[in-house]
Amino acid sequence: MLRAVATVRSAPLTQLMLGIDSMDSPWTARVAAWGTIAALLCWRRFRHLAVYLVIFLASGLLVSEMTLEVGRMRPAGIRILGHWQGYAQPSRSVTILVLVLVGVLYTLVPAGRLRTWGKLMAGIIIGAFCAARLYLAVDHPTDQVTALIVGWTLPVLAFRLAVPDDVFPVSYRGGRKAHLDIGGRRGKAIVRALDHQLGLHVVTVEPFGLESSAGSTPLRLEVRTRAGGQHVTLFGKLYALNHLRSDRWYKLARTVIYGRLEDEKPFSTVRRLAEYEDHLLRLMRDAGLPTPRPHGFAEITPEREYLVVMEFFEGAQEMRRAHADEQVIDAALLAVRQMWDAGVAHRDIKPSNVLVRDGRVLLIDVAFAAVRPTPWRQAVDLANMMLTLALISTPEQVYDRALRLFAADDVAEAFAASRSITIPTELRSLIRTDGRDLVGRFRALAPKRRPVPVQLWDIRRVGVTMVLIASLAAVLAVLAAYVQVTGLL
Amino acid sequence: MKRRQGSGPDPQRRRRGPLAAALAVALALSSAASMLTGCATLHDPVPSCGDPLRLAIIAQSVPGAGYVPCIGQLSEGWSSSAFEPQDRGTSFVLNSDRSPGQPVQVRLRASCAINGASPSPPRAPGVLTYTRLTSVSPRFTGTIYDVFPGGCVSYRFDFTTGPHIALMEQFESAIGLYPRQQLRLTLEKKLGVRLDS
Repeated sequence: MLRAVATVRSAPLTQLMLGIDSMDSPWTARVAAWGTIAALLCWRRFRHLAVYLVIFLASGLLVSEMTLEVGRMRPAGIRILGHWQGYAQPSRSVTILVLVLVGVLYTLVPAGRLRTWGKLMAGIIIGAFCAARLYLAVDHPTDQVTALIVGWTLPVLAFRLAVPDDVFPVSYRGGRKAHLDIGGRRGKAIVRALDHQLGLHVVTVEPFGLESSAGSTPLRLEVRTRAGGQHVTLFGKLYALNHLRSDRWYKLARTVIYGRLEDEKPFSTVRRLAEYEDHLLRLMRDAGLPTPRPHGFAEITPEREYLVVMEFFEGAQEMRRAHADEQVIDAALLAVRQMWDAGVAHRDIKPSNVLVRDGRVLLIDVAFAAVRPTPWRQAVDLANMMLTLALISTPEQVYDRALRLFAADDVAEAFAASRSITIPTELRSLIRTDGRDLVGRFRALAPKRRPVPVQLWDIRRVGVTMVLIASLAAVLAVLAAYVQVTGLL
Repeated sequence: MKRRQGSGPDPQRRRRGPLAAALAVALALSSAASMLTGCATLHDPVPSCGDPLRLAIIAQSVPGAGYVPCIGQLSEGWSSSAFEPQDRGTSFVLNSDRSPGQPVQVRLRASCAINGASPSPPRAPGVLTYTRLTSVSPRFTGTIYDVFPGGCVSYRFDFTTGPHIALMEQFESAIGLYPRQQLRLTLEKKLGVRLDS
């Protein structure tokens, strides 16, 4: 076949083919591979990234092993016009080009028409490259066939099994990764589960307040109750394995940052996570706190996906958009007082979790709450609530109203315990935007008190921190070895 | 209230979970296995003089070379690595555990610059051998050239003075020169291919 191809050789055609064959530069693979890795990191598509790295390594090593094992010479009896390196079977150059193109297609290009066009383009590029190398007599046809099997067929199979499109879609529609798609089969499963398990006939289900939620997929549910057939609006929080993993990482980080002041035992399963929130909702309701009324939780997928259902505060608005009057400030401070009395800490007091409706203050998102918390944690709750209130009023007014429910020493302790890391990110950002030194002003108003040390160390915290540092070092070492083995540098 | 499980997307996902995990494990194992076996093979990838079919790629790297270098008799403590045949020639290294970190670098090229090198006894018929020493003590360093029609093999060495006598003998006997004509006949006979166009 190569001799037949050689009969059409001419100087201009040879120049053209050498130009196409120049794609065989190591920099082509490096730029494409690093570009793909950077894009996957940028879009936080870590599962795709892990599969990509494994496939890249495995295919690269498989080709290396095969070339050495087969030990085939380059095409014989014909003048080789292009550059080559190493044994011929399978063609390493074709494998690498195909691998990087498949990597881009299956990790960065959304499935559907775009990917189909992408495959067509990739096919044209690969076809031209293979044709050029046959013309230049650098590869045998069979070298390229084997390379296509190793570089295309196996990785495509691996991508389809490890990151199937219907479960891990490549999408650029925005939104946080924590939020699950509630259409398709998952949507149907939610409707069915609420009907069968909670007796709620779902009329509509839609995402709600995604921008202020990262630990679950929040949903607004229009339902009709089976008993009585009333139309009710409910709020749902869909928890899945990715939320459980996020919770673990979040708690690990808090263990390192806070130390033994906090109970940071991670949940073992998604079911436990849902059970805990449902339990906290009931406990807070029983304590008379202004939290959503619980409606139980539904199992969407055993041990994988659960939907916690609760009252939806129709017409309520976030605290930062509410009109600040003494009634609202008193109600918000009373909620903290009630939590203190009930032996509960919310642990995530911030403007988006404190709602106002008809002058009533409502607390939402109790998933992080703790029963029998440390006094430090309760003091931090008070400080965060006072800061939230001060954003829409003045520290003086909030301090004055707080003294009706708390002792001056309580307030002093709250701000002695308050640090940048104890203030939720959202609240911290709003305080920065506000421009006033709210924490400083509260500290000035309250009696003098030495700061409560946050950085308390114990053996567990030291151990966790050391393990974390060692793990990071190990990951870096593995990455360095990976880069060396795959020739990405 | 009735309770049904396994509806919606769930069974599909539950089936795929183990599959994906199995795939990940298989890939990881294959990677590890490839790495291990790869290392084992890469340890001695330079073709031996007794395996002419694998020598063809070295012959192709310098199309007119009358001889191709190959591994003859490796003494105890010696190994070869970094075998790199390409269209501009072939190179590899010979490592000795008595000269750690200072391998002998072997290169086959179409020509060599032998100026300043002194003639030595030839290593094969039709071969002119030259030696250029750049240092004798405390290290014995230099380059040996085997020059023949259409090509040249260079051997750059850097040994500690003392053990160098034995090391020089061992590495010279480790490298053989396989005649291209003989390789051409073998390939035609065994594979039915013509080595040269």
